Amino acid sequence: MTTIAPVAPRRRRTDKTMRGVLLAGTLIALVPLVFVVYYLLKQGLGALSWSFFTSDPSGRFLGDPGGVRSAIVGTVLIVGLASVIAVPLGIGIALYLVEYGKASRFANVVRYFVDVMTGVPSIVFGLFIYIVLVLSGIGGNFAGWKGSIALALLMLPVVSRSAEVVLNLVPDSLRESALALGSPRWRVVARIVLPTAMPGLVTGSLLAIARGAGETAPLLFTAFAVNSTTWNLGNQMNSLPIQIFNDVRQAQSNIVERAWGAALTLVLMILALTLLARLIQRRSRIA
Amino acid sequence: MRNARNLLSLVLAGVLALGVVACGSDSGSSGGGGSSGSSKSAGGSLNGAGATFPLPVYQEWAARFKDKTGTAVNYQGIGSGGGIAQFTAGTVDFGATDSAMKDEEIAAAKKKGDPVHVPTVFGAVTVSYNVQGLQKGLKLDGSTVADIFLGKVKTWNDPAIAQQNSGAKLPATKITVCHRSDESGTTKNFTQFLAAYSKAWASGPGSDKSVQWPTGTGAKGNDGVAACIKQNDGAVGYVEQAYALANKFTFASVKNKSGAYVEPTLESTSAAGEGLTVPDDLRFSPIDAPGKAAYPITAATFLLVYQDVCKAGMSSGKAQSLKAWLDYAEGEGQGAAKELYYAALPDAVHTAAMAKVDGLQCNGQPIKSA
Amino acid sequence: MEAATIQHGGRPESGRPPPSRLPDRLLRWGLTGIAAGVLVLIGYFFIRLYLESRPVFSSYGVVNFIFTDAWIPSKDQFGALPLIVGTLITATIALVIGVPVAVASALYVTELAPPRVRQPLVILVELLAAVPSVVYGLWGVFVLIPKLRPAEQWVSDTLSFLPFLGGTVAGPNYFIAGLILAIMILPIVAAISREVMATVPVEQKEAALALGATRWEMIRMAVLPYSRAGISGAAMLGLGRAIGETIAATLVIGNAPKIAESIFGQGYTLAAVIANEFGEAAATPTHRAALIAAGLVLFVLTLVINFVARYFVGRSQRAMTRSVPTGMAG
Repeated sequence: MTTIAPVAPRRRRTDKTMRGVLLAGTLIALVPLVFVVYYLLKQGLGALSWSFFTSDPSGRFLGDPGGVRSAIVGTVLIVGLASVIAVPLGIGIALYLVEYGKASRFANVVRYFVDVMTGVPSIVFGLFIYIVLVLSGIGGNFAGWKGSIALALLMLPVVSRSAEVVLNLVPDSLRESALALGSPRWRVVARIVLPTAMPGLVTGSLLAIARGAGETAPLLFTAFAVNSTTWNLGNQMNSLPIQIFNDVRQAQSNIVERAWGAALTLVLMILALTLLARLIQRRSRIA
Repeated sequence: MRNARNLLSLVLAGVLALGVVACGSDSGSSGGGGSSGSSKSAGGSLNGAGATFPLPVYQEWAARFKDKTGTAVNYQGIGSGGGIAQFTAGTVDFGATDSAMKDEEIAAAKKKGDPVHVPTVFGAVTVSYNVQGLQKGLKLDGSTVADIFLGKVKTWNDPAIAQQNSGAKLPATKITVCHRSDESGTTKNFTQFLAAYSKAWASGPGSDKSVQWPTGTGAKGNDGVAACIKQNDGAVGYVEQAYALANKFTFASVKNKSGAYVEPTLESTSAAGEGLTVPDDLRFSPIDAPGKAAYPITAATFLLVYQDVCKAGMSSGKAQSLKAWLDYAEGEGQGAAKELYYAALPDAVHTAAMAKVDGLQCNGQPIKSA
Repeated sequence: MEAATIQHGGRPESGRPPPSRLPDRLLRWGLTGIAAGVLVLIGYFFIRLYLESRPVFSSYGVVNFIFTDAWIPSKDQFGALPLIVGTLITATIALVIGVPVAVASALYVTELAPPRVRQPLVILVELLAAVPSVVYGLWGVFVLIPKLRPAEQWVSDTLSFLPFLGGTVAGPNYFIAGLILAIMILPIVAAISREVMATVPVEQKEAALALGATRWEMIRMAVLPYSRAGISGAAMLGLGRAIGETIAATLVIGNAPKIAESIFGQGYTLAAVIANEFGEAAATPTHRAALIAAGLVLFVLTLVINFVARYFVGRSQRAMTRSVPTGMAG
């Protein structure tokens, strides 16, 4: 056997250089993350306090700017309502596509349009709801629930696409054996398909909710903004992204500090949702 | 898997419960578009939006008004243009602007009723700057300010500036202009001043709520311009005095019509209102007032309401809250405004404003006070 | 019991259809209704947007709207060219910076990283997507802009002979906006590139290695050619994302409705103008129509780009449907 010729030095150098370049690229990709987290913690931790979470923005120009309670309440309520709308509808569409539509023309059209929806910029959803619901004066003017609808429009395709993927993973053999045993279709869906797919559905929904919680543009002129805490979704409502967006453009340093604190809070909320989603995903794989 | 399902049901149940609680409860300052007004409104809320120029004083009034009457006034600063637009569209209970509505704007609003301008306070538009080494009180006249904003004067030690400030050490820093990107009454008033002293400005960008700025960074709201000034060394911009004071900006002493360099103060702002004659519809502007002690870039700001608020869509209970708010603005508010360096209305204007407020109607009848 | 295959889809052999149970029918029609409802909704969405934007198209014509360089709402002029150019410039900068970095990280993770490090790296890159757009904007305004200003000024001064450079560096500008957009599209481009690279047949890679290729040569010969189409698709998806991004861009682009001469100058994007001028356009029908038209242009752009992107990704990756999309934040 001939010995294998060693690699020429030039090729080795290229290899080493390119490996270094790729590693550098990966590290560069992580640099912004490090910076953002660093500054979020550095500027935001100082703003967090008991009063930060329990008092509303005072709106007062001089003196204490107040906390972000109304923003947190608003985000929870608005995103909550949006999820109640988007998650069942999204899963419903996915169920239709997987169980009934499959590869039919109609189903393909639905799939295509859902895909189209994922590409719509969030501001266009807000604009649409503003024109259709706010300017027309249906049910009062700016209202939290209108913001929820704009968010739901945004979340719906995300839920639907991930749900379709997950539902497709449920083996057909499970369905067929249940059908063969005489189980009606609806029971197959309710007792076999959905429970099997549940972890994936939950994961997908949580990720969509995390996405919705971070959106600002759809809420700009639908829920508008308000300083005081309100539990009524029929009113104008504050929300964390809008509060941050408004505070960023101020010059006073205590308001800017509050913006950082609110940003940190929002990121932590989103991280919690994301972590929960991944945990469920991982546990279902092991199970 | 079971755990995941239980978790999901728990979360959904929690959210639904929250929703039920939200729609059912009436705590805090709820009472939005759907609620009917009772004749006694010890509660409820008013929504307004518009100019950022008076935002500091309106927010302060709102806080005090809430303590006094229990009614919450939510005011969002979206610029005078936004205020007029939302008022015309009927999405707010009252609008606010520093630039009186133009004829076309009034025509558009006529669909809902006759718009009424209620002047509230006078404020000073400062020429604020953030330059290391430059003290407050830089003397500038109208044409120099115009040249700065035209981009003709590019550095702080330019001869045009040096001429008026003999003895001052001027750094060679580049000038960064900060201006508004949104439709602003403050812009209208500031550019009205510039147009009065610079032909190049009058024939170029002109005077309006929104103009084509030859140079500089655009920012939203007085607050945005303040942030722009703060973040750039060598920056200059036009902001209402409360914003300048809150951020400890240095601002210029501007030459007025009589030839004196005047610092923006409570006195010089009030002085701009002396001898002012106003038309019946109260669409006036005190820019470039002739008095010797007057600050030349003093602006008035207005609240916009419809002559017949109920015909325009307001409930009678809300109409009472609105009248109470306007009465407060023209009453105790005038004293409170001084604390934030906004000048109270001169007597003649004040009397006319109160008359307008008293003349507001609900479905043809005068609005009863609560 | 014979191991019979299920025939007739589980129906009794006699050929009679099973009694159609009410719950079954309800479920079927309910779900079909929801799916059809979504179509109706999206259809209404389009139609409404189109109708609302008609006034500006009929007064100016589509060509004028798109190609005139004059966006002056107060004078009733709505030429969207500076907005479109601004959108394209920032998106291009985002691609130029973001795609190489994303692809490099994807390559590293799939081919070069030690196995233990792989999963953490993937999670870290995906965390970039968990940061909402407004937080990137906040960070951009208070950290990125001041920190990069001196460097930008230096580049602008020393390389002023190059086109698109030179002049005073404004705080918020095209470059910063493009940089932040690059960071925001990193996760999605990297994730899709990773998926694509993971489907390169192992035999190809091992064949290259067996022939004596170094790791890099193997990547160059086996992985990249296979993944090229998919990576292009990923890049286009990132482009679509960058074009539609609103809030982060509004905060760092300078909001100047004109076309600046250098990449360090201020500009405007289609999405930013809608967000900024929403409130003022409420009462002016033409202004409102112009903003909706801008939204439509934006939407058509993203539609076309996404369509082309999916074609590329689909072509190179049959197994795409197996993965859960990870796009987040916005």
